[in-house]
Amino acid sequence: MTNQPIRIGFLGIAHLHSTSYVRSLLAMPGVEVAGMYDGNEVLAAEWSERFAVPRYAGAGDLLAAGLDAVVVCSENALHRPYVEQAAGRVKAILCEKPISTTTADAKAMIDICRAAGTKLQIAFPVRFAPSVIELKRQLDAGLLGEVFTVNCTNHGSMPGGWFIDHDLAGGGAVLDHTVHVIDVLRWFWGAEVTEVYAEIGDSLLHPGLGIDDAGLLSFTLSNGIYGTLDTSWSRPPSYTIWGDVKLEILGERGVVYGDTLHQYVSVASNAAGKTRWAGYGSDMDAGLMADFVDMIRTGRDPSITGEDGMAAMQVALAAYESARTGQPVKLANL
Amino acid sequence: MLRIGVIGTGSIAAVHLDGWRQMPGIELVGYYDILPEAAERAAQKYGGRVFGSMDDLFAAVDLVDICSPGTAHKENVLAAAAARKAIICEKPLARHLRDAVEMVETCERAGVPLFPAQVVRFFPMYRAVKDAIDSGAIGAPGVFRSARCGSFPRPGRDFSAPYYADFNQSGGVVLDVAVHDIDFARWCCGDVERVFARGLTFAGRQYQDHALITLRFISGAIGHIEASWSHPRGNFRTRIEVAGDGGLVEWDSLDRPALVAELYDAEQGFRHLGSSPSSVTDEPYYAELAHFVAVVEGRAEPVVTARDGLEAVRVALAAIESMRTGRPTTMRDFGG
Repeated sequence: MTNQPIRIGFLGIAHLHSTSYVRSLLAMPGVEVAGMYDGNEVLAAEWSERFAVPRYAGAGDLLAAGLDAVVVCSENALHRPYVEQAAGRVKAILCEKPISTTTADAKAMIDICRAAGTKLQIAFPVRFAPSVIELKRQLDAGLLGEVFTVNCTNHGSMPGGWFIDHDLAGGGAVLDHTVHVIDVLRWFWGAEVTEVYAEIGDSLLHPGLGIDDAGLLSFTLSNGIYGTLDTSWSRPPSYTIWGDVKLEILGERGVVYGDTLHQYVSVASNAAGKTRWAGYGSDMDAGLMADFVDMIRTGRDPSITGEDGMAAMQVALAAYESARTGQPVKLANL
Repeated sequence: MLRIGVIGTGSIAAVHLDGWRQMPGIELVGYYDILPEAAERAAQKYGGRVFGSMDDLFAAVDLVDICSPGTAHKENVLAAAAARKAIICEKPLARHLRDAVEMVETCERAGVPLFPAQVVRFFPMYRAVKDAIDSGAIGAPGVFRSARCGSFPRPGRDFSAPYYADFNQSGGVVLDVAVHDIDFARWCCGDVERVFARGLTFAGRQYQDHALITLRFISGAIGHIEASWSHPRGNFRTRIEVAGDGGLVEWDSLDRPALVAELYDAEQGFRHLGSSPSSVTDEPYYAELAHFVAVVEGRAEPVVTARDGLEAVRVALAAIESMRTGRPTTMRDFGG
């Protein structure tokens, strides 16, 4: 068995991360990217050709091709139908974040995978960034003593395309960029977000956009830590890098300034008309893929579960609810 | 030549006095302090004389620089206004809103200028941020972020310790520290519609205070301010970022400064010393005081008014109110 390559298919590739994921998998020994499907034929043909991955005419055809696992990297709203189709047909599914756009969808995905005996993992690559792993180790070792508070940002550039289509994305910057950091904080402390207050900006940085492009979340965790998270798509095209993942953690012994993407060389290019930060160091997407493949190979449980994905998404949904009502929202009942 | 008198000769006065003594065209006349020995120390170090009462000082000066603790501002300002003196008053204008209102209205009625010492507007990098916004380089401001993080003000002098640690006197880190960033945020983004805050102010931890403040401006922009007296002693971290619909401007004190010295000796080990020197006239407190002098002399329009100082206090108190209630505070309805 161990000599057989692990056969992985891509079910939906509309999310930008699909290109990074497939590159990581193609570079991995013992892994075969066996096929792909996407409902957008033009996009699918281009992607298939670019990575030399066979294109299938339908999701069912791809799932009939003898796959061990699929990566669902579609538009957010299509995660559920793809996962439902794949459950029971493969051993494992890696689903891009956010898990879905509603709690009902997330629950349905978790339930069907459990019933079918298919492992469901959510793609939170930030857990695999070496600086984040080291930060967790330091916190676990008591570097800061008692932790009081976290001041976080997950800034980005406005991605356009389906990301700004409410029906397909389920939300804008707040849904897109709440889940990474909240997942990491839940992972650090095994704590849940208990309350969220949010100020959200619709079309604030991109007039006429028609969806939220700026958000500030203020939250409390079940372990007593309070914090904030800036989810804004506030990095303009002229900026040096697409965005950031920053975690500033303050405790009784001091402070840690974590800046996950602050490993770069600065590239000044006349052709680009600007200076760009080109990242170096370990690729967190590759770490995520290696973890997923290891799970398939060993049969162990997912390191990031569907429940993890749902909990992170619910914080974003609570933020929207807070912005609607103008009041803090408790999460206990979600 | 404008004659300057200083009321209160504690730690912030020392910073002002470093500016006053280097400033041409003014005369630093002297000091009044409820602790005469403190005033005496200032006179020895910076020149000028010690006055036995505020009235004696007012009789000898044109401009009164109030550097007393916040709890004394009202008494000092009302006395100076009654004496028809131009007034510089350290931030926060007052601990309570009704006092700040009375101070501002009294000065307006008396026709004397009251300059709130919102010094962040005079820090060169913050000034550059404001200039970038005013130039149109980033479009309309949408997301404001700033941080001002230091350690708890130490009980170095016997009178300063209880002031900062006593919330009833100082208002904690929000009124003492965040008031700087609130003022700067208003300068960049306009008036505040509502404020929400979480922090340590009411956590009952001695010598710890911290706040994360979320703002909504009337313009629709949003803002985030961190203010800390819980960061490790030895560094003071500040940061500013404003994202607009046409770009972004940012500065972080963690970035490398203009001058870095790295030293080793067996006794002290490795030392890393960074500094970002500027000319005397660009030093923020000097620039602030020189600006107020220029306004009094009719050479400049004020970049910050008593009403700005008042509104900064009002938003800070609203943030404290939010911390207390766990709910956002709407500025329209907030009267302290």
